[in-house]
Amino acid sequence: MGLLTILKKMKHKEREMRLLMLGLDNAGKTTILKKFNGEDVSTISPTLGFNIKTLEHRGFKLNIWDVGGQKSLRSYWRNYFESTDGLVWVVDSADRLRLEDCKQELSALLLEERLAGATLLVFANKQDLPGALSKEAIQEALALDDIKTHHWCIIGCSAVTGENLLTGVDWLLDDIAARIFTIE
Amino acid sequence: MLGCIFQYFYTSFLRFWLKWLLRQLTGKCELQRICAGYKAAAGRTARAEYSLESSKSKLLRASVTAEEDAVEDYVEKIIKEKNVKEQKDPTFKKNLSICLLQITGYKNLYQCVEELRKEVFDCEKEEHENMLLKLWDLLMPSTKLESRVTKQWGDIGFQGDDPKTDFRGMGMLGLTNLVFFSENYTEASRQVLSHANHPKLGYSYAIVGINLTEMAYSLLKSGALKPHFYNCVEGRPQMKHFHQLYCYLAYEFNKFWIQEEPESIMEFNLYREKFHEKVKRLLLDPDVTLILKVDSTN
Repeated sequence: MGLLTILKKMKHKEREMRLLMLGLDNAGKTTILKKFNGEDVSTISPTLGFNIKTLEHRGFKLNIWDVGGQKSLRSYWRNYFESTDGLVWVVDSADRLRLEDCKQELSALLLEERLAGATLLVFANKQDLPGALSKEAIQEALALDDIKTHHWCIIGCSAVTGENLLTGVDWLLDDIAARIFTIE
Repeated sequence: MLGCIFQYFYTSFLRFWLKWLLRQLTGKCELQRICAGYKAAAGRTARAEYSLESSKSKLLRASVTAEEDAVEDYVEKIIKEKNVKEQKDPTFKKNLSICLLQITGYKNLYQCVEELRKEVFDCEKEEHENMLLKLWDLLMPSTKLESRVTKQWGDIGFQGDDPKTDFRGMGMLGLTNLVFFSENYTEASRQVLSHANHPKLGYSYAIVGINLTEMAYSLLKSGALKPHFYNCVEGRPQMKHFHQLYCYLAYEFNKFWIQEEPESIMEFNLYREKFHEKVKRLLLDPDVTLILKVDSTN
C-alpha cells in the first residue's frame, strides 16, 4: 500500500491520465480523437497500428491511444493495456450486424487483469446516422447492466458533429480523478 | 530576425527596384528573363508562378487561376501589358503559355481530385460496384470471389467482409487509385500484393493503399507536388498523372517497408511518417520526377 500511495501522489503531481480507445473497425475511434483535438475529420483513412495524442483538458494531461480495430490487429490490443486509467469503447450504432461481435470483444476486454482498475466509457457513436440504434438499445445489446467489475457509463454521440464528445470525456475524467487523485 | 527584416524589405521595396533596374539594363521584363534563363521545367514554372503571384498588376495575379480556355487570352494580354516585343523574343509566348498551363492545371487537378475524393463509395451504384469487383479480378485472377460480402476481401487487404466502409475520407479516389495501379502495372501490383501477404513482414495491401492515397492527396493539396508535375507534364496535368504518382508511392512504399523490416504492422504510422519525410525531401529537389520504374531483379 505504501508504494501505491507514493505512486498515486507522483501521478497526482502531473495529473496525467492514460486513455485507451478501442472498438471494432469503422467504429469511429480516430474520428473521435481528431474531432476532440479540433482537427479536420473529413480525410481520415483506416488506422493501421495506432495513433497517440497528448492533449490538455481541464488541467489534465491526457494521453489518448487510438488502436486500429480490424480483426487482424485485435491480438495486439493487449500491448496497450498497461497502466490504462480509462477505457473508451467505441460502437458504430448503425452497424447492427456486428453488435454481437462487438459485445464479445468488449466482454473479453473486461476480463483482462491489466484493465481491472480502468473506468469504462462506451460511446454509442454515429447517432447522426438515420439507422442508428439509441444508446439504450446499445446498452441492452452489449449487456452493460451485467458489468459489476468496472465503473461504466454509456453516452450517445456523433464524432462527425462533435455532439456529446465532451460530455463523455468529462464524465470519464471525473470518475478517474475521484479514484486516483487523492484530495489534498 | 534579421532575415525576416531583410525579407520584408526585399519583397516590399528592393525587389521592385531591382526588377526595374534589370528591365532597364536588359530591356526585358522579369517573365521574359525567367522564360529565357531557365529550361522548361519546375525551375522556370515555379519562378514564373512566383513572379505572377507577387505582381502589382491585377491581370498577372488573376492569370494563375485562369480556366484552360482562357490561358491563351491571358498570355496575349500579359504580352501587351508588359510591352513585350514578340519579334525580339519569339519563344516567349509559347514558353509563357506552357508555364501558365502548368500553373493553372495544377490548381485544376486539385479540384478534380478533391471532387473524386468527396464521392462516397456507394453499393447502390453499379459503376462503383463494378470497379470494386474489377480490382479483385485484376489482383486475384485465379481465384473467384465467392460472394460480394466475404472474408476473401481480407486476402487483398481490406479490413472486413465488406470493403465499402474502408474507403472513408478518401472515397472513390482511393478505389480509383487501387484499380489504376492494378490495371496499368498489373505485374508490379501483384508483386506488391504478394509482399504484403508475407507472414512476417506483411501489411494490409488495400488499407495501406488507401493511406497512401491520403498521402498523395495531402502532398497535392499542400503544393509539394508542383515541382514533380512541372517537370513531368508539359502542359496541364490530368487525373491519370495523379494516379501515376499514387502508383509510384505504392510501389516505393512496399520497397521501403521491406528494407526497414518493421517489427509488426503496429509500427505502420511510424514508417508511414518516415516514408512521407523521404518523399518530401525528394520533392525539395527542383529536378525531381517521381516516376515508377519497375525493378527487373525481383
